[in-house]
Amino acid sequence: MEQIAEQLPIVVHSLNIGFLQTLKLFFITLAGAFPLGLVIAFGSMSRFRPLSYLTKTIVWIVRGTPLMIQLLIVYYFPGLVLHNPVWGGGETGRFAAASVSFILNYACYFSEIYRGGIQGVPIGQEEAGLVLGMTKRQIFFHVTLLQMIKRIVPPMSNEIITLVKDTSLARIIALQEIIWAGQAFMKGSQGISGAIWPLFFTAVYYLICNGALTILLDRLEKKLDYFK
Amino acid sequence: MKKLIALLLATALSFSLTACGSSESDMDYVKDKGTLVVGITDFEPMDYKDDSGNWIGFDADMAKAFAESLGVEAEFVEIDWDNKIMELDGKTIDCVWNGMTLTDEVTSSMDCSNAYCNNAQIVIVPADKADQYQTTDSLSDLTFAVEAGSAGEEQVSALGLEYTAVKAQADALMEVAAGTSDAAVIDSLMAAAMVGEGTSYENLTYTVGLNSEEYGVGFRKGSDLVDALNQFFADSYKDGSMLECAQTYGVQAAIIEQ
Amino acid sequence: MPILEVSHIRKYFGQTEVLKDISFSLEQGQALSIIGSSGSGKTTLLRCLNFLERPDEGSIRVNGETLFDAGGQKALSESEIRKRRLHFGLVFQAFHLFPQYTALENVMLAKELLAKELPSYKEDKKRIQAEIREQAKELLSQMGLSDRMENYPHQLSGGQCQRVAIARALALSPDILCFDEPTSALDPELTGEVLKVMRELADQNTTMIIVTHEMAFARDVASQVIFMDDGYILEQGDPHQVLEHPKEERTRQFLIRFTNG
Repeated sequence: MEQIAEQLPIVVHSLNIGFLQTLKLFFITLAGAFPLGLVIAFGSMSRFRPLSYLTKTIVWIVRGTPLMIQLLIVYYFPGLVLHNPVWGGGETGRFAAASVSFILNYACYFSEIYRGGIQGVPIGQEEAGLVLGMTKRQIFFHVTLLQMIKRIVPPMSNEIITLVKDTSLARIIALQEIIWAGQAFMKGSQGISGAIWPLFFTAVYYLICNGALTILLDRLEKKLDYFK
Repeated sequence: MKKLIALLLATALSFSLTACGSSESDMDYVKDKGTLVVGITDFEPMDYKDDSGNWIGFDADMAKAFAESLGVEAEFVEIDWDNKIMELDGKTIDCVWNGMTLTDEVTSSMDCSNAYCNNAQIVIVPADKADQYQTTDSLSDLTFAVEAGSAGEEQVSALGLEYTAVKAQADALMEVAAGTSDAAVIDSLMAAAMVGEGTSYENLTYTVGLNSEEYGVGFRKGSDLVDALNQFFADSYKDGSMLECAQTYGVQAAIIEQ
Repeated sequence: MPILEVSHIRKYFGQTEVLKDISFSLEQGQALSIIGSSGSGKTTLLRCLNFLERPDEGSIRVNGETLFDAGGQKALSESEIRKRRLHFGLVFQAFHLFPQYTALENVMLAKELLAKELPSYKEDKKRIQAEIREQAKELLSQMGLSDRMENYPHQLSGGQCQRVAIARALALSPDILCFDEPTSALDPELTGEVLKVMRELADQNTTMIIVTHEMAFARDVASQVIFMDDGYILEQGDPHQVLEHPKEERTRQFLIRFTNG
């Protein structure tokens, strides 16, 4: 115990840096996947067949393969096959490649949630808007959007909490997120070697982060509870 | 479906073509970039960070000196050890210089420098049972944990011992500490830093050495940097700078004559 | 001149002809009831009038102005359709109130959005909004909902929802108000309150087209009844004549079936 108390400041400092990387990846993924998911959702619902088939195929591939493989492909494929290592070896390139993989992956999951949300709003809502002389745009923003958001909040919350934990997969391309930072002390880093506890200690970070997110998302869900 | 299969085949084909290597000189490529990207893991005393976050260690210092001799900067990048060959072939790094044991796997997939440092694979067991396992013969009823693809795995499988392959040497130690495996096999250089007094593994100790082995530096297949490094090793051994560097990190006893 | 003239409307869904040469007219201030079994084309006819479906043949004229002519015009722009649509109001069987708005907001929303497009809206914002709010409150009071204005749809009974929906349609002052089986989704004890406000509207000479199964209501309120069967208008005329002394065998059978079960 005494030893842990001695190591704690060094470990916490190192884990904080790792967790910052985790959070960066988390927020960039959300910022990219929210809009891209909507684009994919509209693509897959398009009446233009080739477009809807293409987007559905992409969604099938992305959802049908492990994110870990996608990370490896996105990061190594340009160098291995195209002989053009666009990402470079440094941390910035690894972070960029991880962001691209996560955004694409999560956008595909989000698109299915959006699709469910859009198609779940009864057609009568749009028709009621039309006979009241509203434009399609007005109907979307003033009538269907909020109903759609209400429908997607619960499944979206699930995905968002999964995303926090999924960011740990990025260490397969050596992105130094929090679990990487924790594992470093097992091998030896900054004068601490053979320490197992920092790895398990990372769980505290995830718990706190997801606890905060759960409260936030519950509050949003409650806020939308005023109508049914 | 047919198109998909064709696409997969094309991808596989281009992968296999890549394995044949390209004709461009690696030396020119590195000099054009101005950086030698060195793939490492955090591994004391070979590559690790000092208090201000700079990479030091016997390998790190030698790599910096080698890069300087080429007139380029050394850039250190931490990699996932499992992906070292992909990192090399994908050109996200230019060499693996991290106390790398010259196993068959390594020498068949990279072009390697001459060996520069000796190492051994040694057996780790709980300290209270160490007395019973001081010979190779006494190991037969133990279950082992070893790093997948490591020299340790080669040794236990050659001896016909029962083992589990885990992701890293540190994980193998954790297996023993947690009691999920009876013993582990890891590098002696690493064991010195990770096991015993002052570590999380105070209750573990090392017993038998299974073999001796050597460390080398890995480059892409066909790279002309291999010859350059061998020459550099020979020169720095001759002028004493290599031993001097080794003394700084306490590994002078393991250095191999160049 | 009749306020509404519908001539030779035909509508196909794929190969199926659901409206077959429908023609009728309606005078200002009168109520028209359309009866018939389900699948006879009544609802499709209302949807054509409200531009939710496009007829394949025929024309629709309101106040002498041609709103729709399948033969004689290019595809209409969205804004053009909107303008023409506003001659009609439609009350749905399932209300389709906007769940995230209060009763009052439901009635105000469309009118507010229209007002925002006026060039004078910006300078006169406060006054216009107050007017819209006043009008909406008046309509809801007229529907007997003065104490329900701030409630959300899920807090209201079916009969109250349908009355909000009627107020919402009236807010845009349509020339002709259409009802698509307005009481069919309601529990029997709630139909009375909806029929009562519709009766009041008829008394105020609101021009209405009512698709309904309430025969007694049709007889008392409508000045004209149309019986539809398999996409045709089989019989039309004075309600007492059509409902009590039908000329056609099919009409008689329908009425017997309906009153018995």
